[in-house]
Amino acid sequence: MNFITKVSPNNRDKDHSTVEIMNELSVGLLAIFAFSMVFYYEEYGFSYVLHGFGLIATAIATAVVTEAIYAAVMKKDITFHIKNSFPIVTAIILTLTVQISTSYFAIGVAAFFAIFIGKLVFGGFGHNIFNPAGVGRMVIFSTLAGSTAADVITSATPITSMANAGWMIKDAAVTEKFLEQFGGLSNLFLGWYPGAIGETSKLLILVVCLYLAYRKVLDWKVPVVYIGSVFIFTTVVALTNGVGMWYPMFHILSGGLIFGAVFMATDPVTNPTTISGRIIFSIGLAILTVLIRLKSNLPGGVVYAILIMNMVSPLLDKLTDGWSIYSVKKHTIAICTTFALGLIITFFAGSTLEPKAVVLEGGAEEIEITLGSPVKIFSDDTANLPEVLEKTEDGSIITFKMSASGYNAIEHDGKPNTVEVKLNTETKTVESVLVTEAVDTPNLGENVKAKSFVDQFNGIAFTDTEATVDTVSGATISSKAVAKAVRVAIEELNK
Amino acid sequence: MSILIGPMKLHLNGHKELTSHSDVKNIEAGKLVYIPLMACTDILVKTGDYVKQGRLVAKRNDYFIVPIFSSVSGTVKGIEEKEHSTGRRIEHLVIENDGKYEFERPFEPLDAVKATREELITFMMNAGIVGCGGAGFPTYIKYRDAKDVHTLLINAVECEPYITADYKIINDQLDDLVYGVSTMLKMSEAKEAIIAIKKTKKDLIGKVNKALEGQSNIRVQEVPDQYPMGWERTLVYEIFKKRYNKLPGEVGVIVNNATTAIAFAEALKSGKPILEKICTFSGEGLNHPTNVKVPVGVTVKEIVEQIGGYAAEEVIVVGGGPMMGRAQTNDEVVITTSSNAIIIVKPEPVDTIACLRCGRCNDHCPAGLLPVRINNAEAVGDVKLLQKLRADQCIECGMCTYVCPSKIEVTESVRRGKALLKASTLK
Repeated sequence: MNFITKVSPNNRDKDHSTVEIMNELSVGLLAIFAFSMVFYYEEYGFSYVLHGFGLIATAIATAVVTEAIYAAVMKKDITFHIKNSFPIVTAIILTLTVQISTSYFAIGVAAFFAIFIGKLVFGGFGHNIFNPAGVGRMVIFSTLAGSTAADVITSATPITSMANAGWMIKDAAVTEKFLEQFGGLSNLFLGWYPGAIGETSKLLILVVCLYLAYRKVLDWKVPVVYIGSVFIFTTVVALTNGVGMWYPMFHILSGGLIFGAVFMATDPVTNPTTISGRIIFSIGLAILTVLIRLKSNLPGGVVYAILIMNMVSPLLDKLTDGWSIYSVKKHTIAICTTFALGLIITFFAGSTLEPKAVVLEGGAEEIEITLGSPVKIFSDDTANLPEVLEKTEDGSIITFKMSASGYNAIEHDGKPNTVEVKLNTETKTVESVLVTEAVDTPNLGENVKAKSFVDQFNGIAFTDTEATVDTVSGATISSKAVAKAVRVAIEELNK
Repeated sequence: MSILIGPMKLHLNGHKELTSHSDVKNIEAGKLVYIPLMACTDILVKTGDYVKQGRLVAKRNDYFIVPIFSSVSGTVKGIEEKEHSTGRRIEHLVIENDGKYEFERPFEPLDAVKATREELITFMMNAGIVGCGGAGFPTYIKYRDAKDVHTLLINAVECEPYITADYKIINDQLDDLVYGVSTMLKMSEAKEAIIAIKKTKKDLIGKVNKALEGQSNIRVQEVPDQYPMGWERTLVYEIFKKRYNKLPGEVGVIVNNATTAIAFAEALKSGKPILEKICTFSGEGLNHPTNVKVPVGVTVKEIVEQIGGYAAEEVIVVGGGPMMGRAQTNDEVVITTSSNAIIIVKPEPVDTIACLRCGRCNDHCPAGLLPVRINNAEAVGDVKLLQKLRADQCIECGMCTYVCPSKIEVTESVRRGKALLKASTLK
């Protein structure tokens, strides 16, 4: 007989091991990836799906190879190390946070940084301070944003459009139109629109979240407090600015909030270890997310908010140290204080919002241009007058589709550009101008489609006969053509 | 429990079906029995003395008074140092069993209805009634020090997996339970006695309720099937929603095990101290798990031989339940007056990996401690932090190791932290 002695207890939970937790998490993530691929297949075609699979394969391969090299260099058992370091989970999360247009090169570099800088340099799994996938995403944000696959192009994501609008739209009619281009709030929830790969179906993410919370793979309190706090904070912003409940709904349904809250904020390694700590952590995430969205140049704030709060985790652990049963009061006060602080911060951030002109889908492109000399809009130049192609009415907004001959059309018999002029009959001002088809000289005349040029027309009164706009340098004739189109449209309206 | 602390308890797989349906098997004591002399100051017999079963052979006589009785009749062979189920080597009185079981009453029975409270407490002390829940604390102390007690809480929860001894005893001795509880109720001067039973043991609840008919101040309370529901603090909190600093007396409650009440009733009725125990022998390491009725002082080895042997070449012999019980270095340890189970399991090696800081141990710690933080503090030897984290409050229930998904021996590390803290406070 052989009697084995070991320290008590001699009983273990056989249902929840770290490996099983990570496996279930991976399955949940892959379900979301699969949905996204179905969406891209239906809307954009098979080549997008191939690219999506290429991305996830590149990420996983890079992550695993990085781990293997590390294990080899550190003289560890490679198989055991990879099995217990979970590079695949990080790689999948990373893939789900990027746009489908990301290049293989970018995702590879990001995956390497996620694994090596995000995790291994801290001592490997369990010791990393930052969410590894978050680190990888940040690398793409800050250095590889331009590295995209040439033939994979999608339309603007809701969150970028909202960021361009200054995170505030007060006009009800514009709001409706703005939301409509993404199929309304319900479609944002169902997820049939482009975004980061994992940002698509909020419904599916929540279903997966429910299952994983039931399986105790993740702590439901983190997403609930995080998303709930963002909702409350942005409701305050909405009330301050007198806009409807669509505003907080848009905040929680757009961008990576729900995905980040469910899959990245719940990462146990980078979370505080106590429930109170995790709740404060989640409120902190909400404050930072709202603040970054409203007040910084970044479109979404989730990844940065998570990385910043990751740094605070050890501090929160220290704060909640003690004998839990006698610290409930202290913890409640800490949680309430954090929440109140969040309300105050977001109230001030929200009360100083300056709405920018809304660019609807197919809106003006952001191109780097230099503006030159000013030109009068209401000139009496009658050469090459633009023609009205189409006139549509929608309430107080009248849209004129015009054909305006630019430099290429006038000098080289090219095709005229198409300009869309929206006039507001109520305020008697120009609502917006958009060059929908710029078939002018590449890099010169075609630059009239630039946002910084066409946005100059916004808000110009019909009666302001002295109004001017600055022409695009190197495209004076084409710029003048756009100005003429606006003038003709106003004249047409006044007829 | 609070949403900010976590559930502080957890349902475990009880494995109770292994032994709950089979009959209790009688075990014959072998040639030699070893009576543990834990902390005994006075030894009242000499080598070569003939002792009858029930003879007072030794006594602990310091701040506690605990008499020790011979469980068999025979000749005293001497004193031998031997491993005890606590893991310590202590002295055991060796008695050569003559197999006759000649019994002598060490004390006279007492009519609980006529006796005064003081008489009952003295009787309880002299009868050597100790807590049968596992810890073996002398029971009379609780009643001697009782003040403003409103409820006597009888613990019939039996929350450790595998163990069904209490269930068997209560099933067989319902009258003794009622007699013991009503006497203890008298001694505690409480208004009411509550018998706490897991809500999953429906049959037992029915039987106890039936036995309690006509007893207006004793009732059954169902408690959830969770671990460690049988721990005093968890049970008191579950029923009264109150926490206390050191002893349940602070909140007006005395907690006693149901089998203690039964042992007490036996002593009152027939003048018989605890001479034999009903113990659960269960686990995957045994061919035929069963409950056994065995005289105190019989070795585990003899019992296992009589019930059908080990099921594997390599086993872990746990003295007590698998959560809190200690793995014994061999099967020569003996059944003591406070033994209730020997669990024999097969070793299951696990791959321990890095802590993923999931906080599961924090959420489930019944004492409301933060095991992962205590682990970290222990690793760097930060005594001040261990003090802040109240490592001294750990009861070593094993929950943190049980729930750990990375398969770390969390409890052991907390145990070390506790010892480190104790050592530094003693300085």
